Amino acid sequence: MGDPVTDKRFYLILLVAAALLSLLSLGLDAYRLHVLIVCLFYVMMASSWNLLAGYTGQVSFAHAAFAGIGAYTSGILATKFGVNPWLGVGIGTVMAALLGLGVGVLCLRMGGIYLSLTTLGFSEILRIIITNEYEITRGTMGLQVPGLITVYSKPVYFFIMLGGALLTLIVLYKLIYSNIGLNFRAVQNDERAAASLGVDVVRMRVLAFTVSSALAGMAGGLYGHYLLLITPEIPSLDQQFLVLSMTVIGGMGSFAGPIVGAFSLEILAEYIRGYGEYHVLAFGLVALVVARFAPNGIIGLATRHFPGRAKPGKPVAVAAG
Amino acid sequence: MALLEGRGLTKRFGGVLALEEVSFAVEEGTIVGLIGPNGAGKTTLFNVVAGALKPDSGQIMFDGNDSTGLPATVTCRLGLARTFQVTRPFAAMTCLENVGVAMINSPRTGVGCRWGCDGIEFLQVVGLGEQAHSEARQLNVVQKKRLEIARALATRPKLLMLDEVLGGLNTQEIGQAVAFIRRLRDEHHLTVFWIEHVMGAIMQAADKVIVLDQGRTLMTGTPEEVVRDPRVIQAYLGE
Repeated sequence: MGDPVTDKRFYLILLVAAALLSLLSLGLDAYRLHVLIVCLFYVMMASSWNLLAGYTGQVSFAHAAFAGIGAYTSGILATKFGVNPWLGVGIGTVMAALLGLGVGVLCLRMGGIYLSLTTLGFSEILRIIITNEYEITRGTMGLQVPGLITVYSKPVYFFIMLGGALLTLIVLYKLIYSNIGLNFRAVQNDERAAASLGVDVVRMRVLAFTVSSALAGMAGGLYGHYLLLITPEIPSLDQQFLVLSMTVIGGMGSFAGPIVGAFSLEILAEYIRGYGEYHVLAFGLVALVVARFAPNGIIGLATRHFPGRAKPGKPVAVAAG
Repeated sequence: MALLEGRGLTKRFGGVLALEEVSFAVEEGTIVGLIGPNGAGKTTLFNVVAGALKPDSGQIMFDGNDSTGLPATVTCRLGLARTFQVTRPFAAMTCLENVGVAMINSPRTGVGCRWGCDGIEFLQVVGLGEQAHSEARQLNVVQKKRLEIARALATRPKLLMLDEVLGGLNTQEIGQAVAFIRRLRDEHHLTVFWIEHVMGAIMQAADKVIVLDQGRTLMTGTPEEVVRDPRVIQAYLGE
């Protein structure tokens, strides 16, 4: 359980931000509204990836793949079995959670680079399966899926995605500022010291992987039913590196970082879209430079130059052992 | 009664026999010193006891249970807390959060206790109350050692295992530290198992001293017996 005062502040900020975005969305044309919706998708993706990379130090390259799992599960259920897309998104989320649990357990004994390589492999295997199982997935042609609402309406989709983003952020906030979140950070800082203080390192890592994958699955499911066409683009490595760049440039390990990164990079990407897909490359380079010279990203720079309150050492109730 | 007992512990690293048939006992409520020249196997013994390493053979009894080969997470929850010789703070977390991690995972912490408030007490005990909201990376070496002790205490252990916590202190500070650890033992009803290079400190503080040399128990005795023993003098000074 979080501290009530800071909790109140968090929900207030979230509420104000959501209200402002909603207000803004009313004045946007279809194209700009689309960009805003995509931004919200990336807020979900980058924030949930941050839980893994930023809070438990597990750099997974399978996050976009889990979004793909969510999207394709729901899409296939809808097209082949006529399952309601809302239910499909739910099942897709559970599916991503289960696979995340599996990959998490598989990667238990691996640290650093080995975890990254395994998840990279998982991601590629998934892409190959999706591309080749044409009968089921329609390969690179993409799977046409029904929408979440019967009459297509961008503004309604905006509110659906906003809801998804808010839900994601609340889940992450609850987790990060709980005792579990404290354990996550302990594991990231020093696994051996954490174990010596009674932290169940293995359980924490698997838990982070499962929750993060589930959130990616939900994001992918919602996004797929918004686009109405699910392509291997969703679980692609391009997508993965974009999410990575957003998190790193925004500020890995901070709550606001991935949100800032998602909005700024997606909007920037739209401006330079004329140059083709090179923007992913450019973002990757920028991410490298940021990681080297400003490891805490935009948020880190902002707090360094405008030092506000010291970060609150959040008092959290101790769970009964 | 022995709170901790090792029976015939052996640990091998490749061709090196780090521990060879080491047996020892740490009686409840006492301070037991573990000394020996560099490379004698002191820290290896600690790692084996605390669950950071598994022994190749032998048995460890802790608080009446067989704890041989249990991982660190479990031994900690059973009531065994250790500090690290080379300190391992959670660098990017505040001192209070460092202590908080220890508190929230301890089955002996009271229900509903808030680490944000109560954690300060553990920091104050080691003189880090002022640094509660500083990140651990900002501490100096001596302060980091104190943070290790605060974290270990925050698990509310039965056995406190200290691995060279006096490094970097001057003679006067060592005297204070010894008094401090005795006080800890009395106030927190602890048993202390203590590796230390600073012989003077161990001689003042310990009820019993175990001497390791080249992975074997050289002798066990009171501090007076140990300093007078020719084998110990030879192990430290060489031929």
